[in-house]
Amino acid sequence: MRHLSVFAFLLSISLTACSPGDERSGILDRGRLVYEAKCISCHGQNGTGTPDAPAPLFGDRPVSELADVIDRTMPEGAADQCTGDDARAVAEWMQQAFYSPEAQARLNPPRIELTRLTVAQYRNAIADLGTSFRWRTVPGSQRGLNADYFSSRNHRRDRRVFQRLDNAVNFQFGAFSPDGEKISEDAFAIAWEGSLIPRESGWYEFVIRTENGARLFVNNRATPLIDASVRSGSDVVFHGSRYLLSGRLYPIRLDWFKFKEPTASVQLLWKSPGSVEELIPERHLVPEGSAEVLIAETPFPPDDRSAGYERGISVSPEWDEATTNAAVEVADRVVASVRDLAKIRDNDNRTEKIREFGRQFAERAFRRPLDEETRRIFVDEQFAAAKSDEEGLRRVVIAALKSPRFLYREVTGTDDQLDRASRLAFALLNSVPDAALMEAAAKGQLATEDQIRQQAWRMVGDSRARSRMLEFLRSWMNLDRIQDIAKNPEAFPDYTDRLSADLKISLELFLEQVVDSESGDFRQLLLSDTIFMNGRMAQFYGAGLAADAEFQEVRFEPERRAGIVSHPFLLSGLAYTETSSPIHRGVFLSRGILGRGVKPPPIAVSPTAPELAPDLTTRQRVIVQTGPEMCANCHGLINPLGFALENFDAVGRHRGSEKGQPIDATGQYLQRNGGLTRFNGARELAAFLARSEETHRAFVRQFFHHMVQQPILAYGTDSIQELSESFKNQEFRLKNLQVEIAVRSALRGWSTNSQPVVANAPNSSP
Amino acid sequence: MNSRRHFLRRLGLSAAALPFVSNLSAFATTPARTARKQRLVVMFSPNGTVPWDFWPDEQGETFTLKRILEPLKDFQNKTLILKGVCDKVRGDGDNHMRGMGCLLTGIELYPGNIQGGSDTPAGWASGISIDQEIARFLQAKEETRTRFGSLEFGVMVPDRADTWTRMSYAGANKPITPIDDPYQMFRRLYGQVRDREVLGSILDSVEQDLQKISKVVSREDRHLLEEHTTFVRSMEEQLRTAANADAGHAVPVLEPGIREENDNIPQITKMQLDLLVNSFVNDFARVATFQITNSVGQPKMNWLGIDEGHHELSHEPNENKEAHEKLTKINTWYCEQMAYLVKRLSETPEPGGEGSLLDNTLIVWGNELGQGNSHTLDNIPFVMVGNGLDFQMGRSLVFPKVPHNRLLVALAHGFGHHLETFGNPDFCRDGVLTGLT
Repeated sequence: MRHLSVFAFLLSISLTACSPGDERSGILDRGRLVYEAKCISCHGQNGTGTPDAPAPLFGDRPVSELADVIDRTMPEGAADQCTGDDARAVAEWMQQAFYSPEAQARLNPPRIELTRLTVAQYRNAIADLGTSFRWRTVPGSQRGLNADYFSSRNHRRDRRVFQRLDNAVNFQFGAFSPDGEKISEDAFAIAWEGSLIPRESGWYEFVIRTENGARLFVNNRATPLIDASVRSGSDVVFHGSRYLLSGRLYPIRLDWFKFKEPTASVQLLWKSPGSVEELIPERHLVPEGSAEVLIAETPFPPDDRSAGYERGISVSPEWDEATTNAAVEVADRVVASVRDLAKIRDNDNRTEKIREFGRQFAERAFRRPLDEETRRIFVDEQFAAAKSDEEGLRRVVIAALKSPRFLYREVTGTDDQLDRASRLAFALLNSVPDAALMEAAAKGQLATEDQIRQQAWRMVGDSRARSRMLEFLRSWMNLDRIQDIAKNPEAFPDYTDRLSADLKISLELFLEQVVDSESGDFRQLLLSDTIFMNGRMAQFYGAGLAADAEFQEVRFEPERRAGIVSHPFLLSGLAYTETSSPIHRGVFLSRGILGRGVKPPPIAVSPTAPELAPDLTTRQRVIVQTGPEMCANCHGLINPLGFALENFDAVGRHRGSEKGQPIDATGQYLQRNGGLTRFNGARELAAFLARSEETHRAFVRQFFHHMVQQPILAYGTDSIQELSESFKNQEFRLKNLQVEIAVRSALRGWSTNSQPVVANAPNSSP
Repeated sequence: MNSRRHFLRRLGLSAAALPFVSNLSAFATTPARTARKQRLVVMFSPNGTVPWDFWPDEQGETFTLKRILEPLKDFQNKTLILKGVCDKVRGDGDNHMRGMGCLLTGIELYPGNIQGGSDTPAGWASGISIDQEIARFLQAKEETRTRFGSLEFGVMVPDRADTWTRMSYAGANKPITPIDDPYQMFRRLYGQVRDREVLGSILDSVEQDLQKISKVVSREDRHLLEEHTTFVRSMEEQLRTAANADAGHAVPVLEPGIREENDNIPQITKMQLDLLVNSFVNDFARVATFQITNSVGQPKMNWLGIDEGHHELSHEPNENKEAHEKLTKINTWYCEQMAYLVKRLSETPEPGGEGSLLDNTLIVWGNELGQGNSHTLDNIPFVMVGNGLDFQMGRSLVFPKVPHNRLLVALAHGFGHHLETFGNPDFCRDGVLTGLT
């Protein structure tokens, strides 16, 4: 309502103002009249469509482009009836009446909806509920695992010979011992212990290679994930899998021993999600111990992603059933480790401790203190119905995790400071609030925006917030869609799965570098002139590193390459097995980076095979193929962006020519404000992207959606503008944006039907 | 199968709901009226026997049970004693290891790092065990498929996985851990029934809470919670239906709080045997192993007035009459456990069939050694009871030192699984063990 009245107010100003306004309102009036006379019969009121032209009219094309299309093609079958100034006027009027995203938001104001936890939020919440009863380790700067070396096959304390830090478990002792003087080669043992930092959330496969005996413990101190302590036959490879969530540490221990076998060797490897089997790299191992993390492994149906981000807007019987199975799974895990979780000591009153733990568990799951009735239903009655304390606790956990108070976001609709705490925690950590935040809310210390911001800054230092940022950057680049890159082995014999995995790691390391850097400047993602490479990558791309070099930052073709724009992982992912794909690259740039709406092709087209056009370069072939009018609409936007990367082939190697013709890497982009920008090659393209407000706005919008899972325009139609300006004023510091988004979302809940946030953020310009 | 799936669909149960209902008799597949149910139990006790108190003096249908087997006297006509069956598998590992690892597999151990005595170290068996082979055979067919296929019971099996503690193998290098905690076995068998009860009453509270919360939610958002409420309600409904179907199910009651320790072996054994009988009544499995302790097992049978560990005693020479008196008592106690199982099975009518469970079950009692002090693998004390496999019972047979692989093949044949060989084929050259049927 408010938006409409503001709009009316602006209109009234423009009506009474002097000449430029008069002129504009004249154009708009003319546009409206033209639309009503010539367009409305097919396109309907407000462009919503009719049976003749059912597709609703909305999009993000600039006025000039819209006018051009109308001029040339509309009305259908009588394109000469609406041309020149008429076409221009109707385009102007459509733009502000219903066509642009802003106009759409005004017509159909988006709403903050009640949502349930997404699957990721569910798993994170379970993990952090568990951890809230244990402890969290903040690792120091050391990497690798503590190693105890024993001169016996058992880990006997009195036979420990020395202790040291090993950066990886990768040893080939052959027929010898690790220490010829102190350890006999007949029988010896090593125990590696510390914690694991996973890369992304997902299933991790652990692999031990040894001809000796070994037991591996991951996130469970009592039961080994892999028990290969009985050496038997020729088996030397042992597997086991665990689901791990990013942003958390997991205890890991490998007990290994040699006993009479002629030789000894041991390797500890993993296969992280979407990667290949590799030695667990040093940077993912820390010597500090950590508490077990409570993980719900129950499979869930995937969340809705139709709006481009995961959100919990629907429920299904499969989801409901998954929540039941997961509740039972978690309850069993909680009961199994109740001694540890409830900190029960021998002299304690066990019953009392377990009941108190149950109450706290429900309270933390619900993110608010229990009122009398809730406590009766979810705690007291459950214990009363059970024959033992353990069974009672099991019931409490199942009931709490099946309750809408856990499963939905801020469901009680009180919209008090506790709800703010929840929104802040979910935005920044994708999880339930921690003790400090709950306490602040309870004490009324989340009353003002500054207080909320202060908490947000505290939380943004958490490893989970960092993970969330990295997770967003991956989603911003749509990395999910780039999997299993394969190249034609005849054309690129050295492009192996191993290399492809290296490229992914190289990109991940780059993202981490930008996120962790002092400036944390978003533009570095686009502009950086360095890249992470290991020996294998360097050999393949022709950079000067030793073949066995570890990953390191190098300046490689700095005059040609720029940040993610020319990163070989993206370049080879957005390409065919043998040739580059300007269309894939162009869609990535227009839809992902510039945030333009690009609709799927109107008809299914299979690309013209290069063999069918043997004389054409990729660029020429793409131009021919997308020549027809119905393609030109979108490909006029997509292709010239992708062409700017044509001097990188299907594997992201630089090239000067194709089929004997020099590469043409010129490209252009018609901005939404109508201005045309031209560029040649990756660096000019990246420079444009980094300074373009469209890029900034798209980044802000997507980051907001990723963090908040609600439409940004529901937080005020100026939200994108305000956050973009604040982002710019803060030198594009990623963490600042993360904080500002969290603060904005914390202030408004679904039940707040009152006024939108008044932007008093000190970082925003008025 | 089709009608079952159709029925489930009609109930609105998705495939994922199946774990909650699949073991209900009401949902179980109606077997075609074909052959009777057949079951196999392999019972194990360690350290060899006392030959002179075990083997009858006579052969054939008329024989007198010696002291150790005397507990079976009420079932003598259902008993078959097999002397002269030998574990001929050699290779790596000591006799206790091979006795255990090859008892049901009939195949060599892999070389490895488990060292016993002065023999070469060894690892796991290099093949599947006969109980698992038969279970696999039965699970492959609709009409003999059961929820678990096989169940592996244990009594005081040490908490370490090695060649002495495992006799059942799902395949080469794939030993199966027996469950020796009756409460854990109970959870495995009946956990879902208990979950159904608990969930039903919890969901009732949850549903009330959902309705309460729906009231504070705006009209536009309410549909989400209302939809959710219908799912919770239908789950409750399913659970209620399931609970009714459970009513006809025999769920045993376990004595609570029995700790896993030496002196509780008698109670634990009884609890486990009761669970075994129960799982047969409910047709959870047709094959079971029942492993009392382990190869080289050291139970101290204080309840018989014996203070020494069993293995320690078993090393005593034949001349030590006192030790052998104790060993006879120990082995008699094992036989009493078998007799208890036999009795329970004989008293339990075959559900939906003729006669008793014993009429359709064969129990095979075996050991990793023939005798403890010599560590011989000849004359493994094999005794079988029950009419599960159409063997001609009520006899005492003596074979001319035949490889036990042929007996393993005979067990498979008894189930209609006509294997040519089992384990190391060299020991099966003379085919299936004859004279049993």
